[in-house]
Amino acid sequence: MPSSRFPIPQGTLDMLILQILSLEPAHGYGIAQRLEQISNSVVQVNQGSLYPALHRLEQKGWLKADWKQSETGREAKFYALTRSGQKQLRVEKDSWARLTGAVQLIFEEGTEQ
Amino acid sequence: MKRILNWFRLRRLEDDLDRELQYHIDRRVTDLIQSGLPEPEARRRVALELGGVTQVREEVRDTWLTRWLRDFVYDLRFSARSFRRSPSFTATAVLSLALGIGATTALYSLVDQVMLRALPVDHPERLVLIDWNGEQRAEIYGSDNVMSYPICQDLQQQKEFFDGVFCRAATSVILSTGEEPRVTAAELVSGAYFSLLGVRPALGRLFSNDDDQTPGSSPVVVLSYDFWKNQFGGAEDVVGRKVLVNRNPMTVVGVAAPGFRGIDVGEIPSLWIPTAMASLVPGLNDAMLDRRTAWVQILGRLKQNVSLTQAQTGLQPWFKAMLEEDTRRTNLSKASAERRRQFLLSTLRLTPAPQGHSPFRNYISRPLWVLFVTTAVLLALACLNVAGLFLARGSARQRELSTRLALGASRGRIGRQLLADSVLLAFAGGLLGVVMAPFAVRALIAFLPSAPIAANGLEASVDTRMLLFTFLVSMATGFLSGAAPALQACNKSLASSLRKRAGTAMGGLSLRRAMVTTQIAFTLILIIASGLYVRTLFGLLAKGPGFDTSSLISFTVRGAQDSNRLIRQIHEEIRSSPNTQSSALVQVPLLFGGVWGNPLTIQSTERFVTDRDVQLNAVTPGFFATLGTRIVSGRDFDEHDSRPLNEGGRRVVIVNEAFVKRYFGGRSPLGAHVGMGSRPDVKTDGEIIGVVEDISYGSIRERWEQAYFPQGQNYFGSVFYVRFRGTAESAVAAMRAILRNADPTMPAPLFLRTLDEQIDRSLNTERMLAALSTAFGILALVLSLVGLYGVMSFVVTQRTREIGIRLALGATRHSTLWLILRDALVMIAAGTAIALPCVWALGRLVESQLYDIKPTDPLTILAATLVLCSTALSAALIPARRASAVNPTDALRFE
Repeated sequence: MPSSRFPIPQGTLDMLILQILSLEPAHGYGIAQRLEQISNSVVQVNQGSLYPALHRLEQKGWLKADWKQSETGREAKFYALTRSGQKQLRVEKDSWARLTGAVQLIFEEGTEQ
Repeated sequence: MKRILNWFRLRRLEDDLDRELQYHIDRRVTDLIQSGLPEPEARRRVALELGGVTQVREEVRDTWLTRWLRDFVYDLRFSARSFRRSPSFTATAVLSLALGIGATTALYSLVDQVMLRALPVDHPERLVLIDWNGEQRAEIYGSDNVMSYPICQDLQQQKEFFDGVFCRAATSVILSTGEEPRVTAAELVSGAYFSLLGVRPALGRLFSNDDDQTPGSSPVVVLSYDFWKNQFGGAEDVVGRKVLVNRNPMTVVGVAAPGFRGIDVGEIPSLWIPTAMASLVPGLNDAMLDRRTAWVQILGRLKQNVSLTQAQTGLQPWFKAMLEEDTRRTNLSKASAERRRQFLLSTLRLTPAPQGHSPFRNYISRPLWVLFVTTAVLLALACLNVAGLFLARGSARQRELSTRLALGASRGRIGRQLLADSVLLAFAGGLLGVVMAPFAVRALIAFLPSAPIAANGLEASVDTRMLLFTFLVSMATGFLSGAAPALQACNKSLASSLRKRAGTAMGGLSLRRAMVTTQIAFTLILIIASGLYVRTLFGLLAKGPGFDTSSLISFTVRGAQDSNRLIRQIHEEIRSSPNTQSSALVQVPLLFGGVWGNPLTIQSTERFVTDRDVQLNAVTPGFFATLGTRIVSGRDFDEHDSRPLNEGGRRVVIVNEAFVKRYFGGRSPLGAHVGMGSRPDVKTDGEIIGVVEDISYGSIRERWEQAYFPQGQNYFGSVFYVRFRGTAESAVAAMRAILRNADPTMPAPLFLRTLDEQIDRSLNTERMLAALSTAFGILALVLSLVGLYGVMSFVVTQRTREIGIRLALGATRHSTLWLILRDALVMIAAGTAIALPCVWALGRLVESQLYDIKPTDPLTILAATLVLCSTALSAALIPARRASAVNPTDALRFE
């Protein structure tokens, strides 16, 4: 494995999936590709953990899934955000912002000394 | 919730996931090929990226079901498959569990119905029975916990503690509803009865306080729902109809709500009558308002925030005052100082009565508990057996389990798998048990003693409480029988068991030995119990009632108009019937459980009062001859004695040998005088004119002091005893014909049966205990023999090689036999050593049900131990002989 790529931080995969699906519904493979593109190949997503995450989010009611025709003409399972999924995304974004803000603050304090 | 729903659509979810993953793989492979990778390389990359398709699938499945639920489903499937492969093992295990669970469930159903279930009324938990604790000094009518009616009226004024107080008395009346009159169970109740219990009418109205004001003023009845359905066909216009109760016209005012069947599970009334009409009941007459006549049970409903103890303490001042006042009232004022002191020591006792009041319950609860505990023990034996089977199977599966462990299964996981096995078996057993239970309950109900007229309220039906009980018991059974094998599997050292060759694993042998020892101990206890009960039954049957019961029938006549004259006429006809050898009338029937008892005052050389109640009865001349009871000295009554006093009759008394022994020290009592009662003013004007042999009165168990009065002076009975010629059937038919001819409006005679049959009925409880404990003992014996045999066969298989070597080195067949048998003997001896102290400790529980035999009777214990040891040894001998027949060459080549 190329070592220049970081493993994705724990707990953030769900948030990223929700974010990607908030733009438009997508199937699993599409989400995997988008994750690669968006993160400029810096973040490494283990494709094996994508599907358990999708199913977990579906069980929680944040995603709904439908079998639809994909761009290749074959049927694929498309995931879309539900209303409670949108709410969850806002919550997660908010807490992420607060977390990174706090980490930033700690770093700044460290440089002042 | 969603996860549980997922369980039911697992198949679809799996299919979906497969398609989804397949789509991903195909797309990725295509993309990689397009970017220039050769196909095999592309496929390898995809698999690597995903980290194993199986792994992904597993992880996704975890999101569908909670982990343990999913595992459990798989475990159950696996168990079911493995059970299907070994049907004989499965059948044995399920059947033994089903027997255990079925028997326990059946007994639980009875225990629940008789003892645990609260009445179907409002807030039964606040009902209390109010009862006299001490010397009541009253004439007692009826059974258990009775007090006088005026006390109930007094208590109704205690509004500080009670929402209300009501009284009731079980009775039977002759009811005619237009057809043939019939003796029917009824309950006399005070006006507040229904409203305090919160029972509503299904039709018309129920009683109110107005129905209970002035004695004799309220000729109304309320019917029970079942009686209305059965007797009146559920007719809507039943309200307002007239019925005859003991030949008095009364009006039906309502029908009680369905499901309400009085407050005594042992005697279900068909109709309710206000206590104000108690004078209809023969015997009680005008004693209803007498303070020294106790005939009602009194129950109260405690106020919401009053505790039982508060009420009990709070009521004592009033009660003490009432006692003081009572001593100044006529009857008691003449009692001796000692008796008055005892009377004044009485207190009022309150006991919780959410299940109502039932003499039947008081009587039957001890035997039922004993049987219930026995079935629980039986179930425990079955559990041990199944656990033993599992252990044996577990050692056969040792390699499979070791392999699974080596492949990474956790020990807990394997333990759970084994537990799933036993839980599945237990539920199969439980299901079968529930199917069997109602039949067992029906058989048990037939065994239980019943009240003479009223039916008891016991049913052989499956209800939620019973199902819940079975579910819990099956669960517990599953865990109990699976725990040992599961723990065993978890504790194995992996390396050592993989290194061992198949068939040499020792498979929890010491655990199985301990279990067989326990089984033997339990079984011995059960066999001893059944021995005691059987000997009690046969002892009682052998002893008999003290008179010749062959060719003897008895019956009770009730409801004859102008009864004394008619009964005399009937008696004449019976006497002249060709079927009759001899006949007599008595006041109280024999062997029905009840007796008429009272202290007597004796005047011989000095005047004294008997130190305990004497059993009394009033009989016609020829009674002793009819029964075949010998007159030891003096003479029988004659017609002259039966005449009223003002027509030249004399007061005479016949006593029995026990009476003479206790009060005359064996001297002749002839010529001495006795009087009824213990008060100083009792007239001792009855002369003892004869002594008879002892006979049983209430039950076969007892031979008490007895005294007989001639019928016709103060006492009239209507119980006939007839010694007949020919067959019992023809005699019964002849009696029926005579009664019908004498008065067609009279209800059919009650309890028309032979004395042999009556004895059988009076021994119902004893027979039930003997039969059931024997059945349980045999079952337990079979279970533990199977267990012992299993262990011994296992041992022999294990040691075949060793035995072969021993034989090759010159051991004799005898010493080999002994080698194996010794093992069994140790278990049997240990089991016996555990059982005997338990028998000694448990003896007190059953002592009251035994007759003429101690719970530690050495003969019974010796016989039971012999039975157990000999059968157990024969069970062990089969595998032992196999061991001694081993061919050394075969044994060494074995495996």
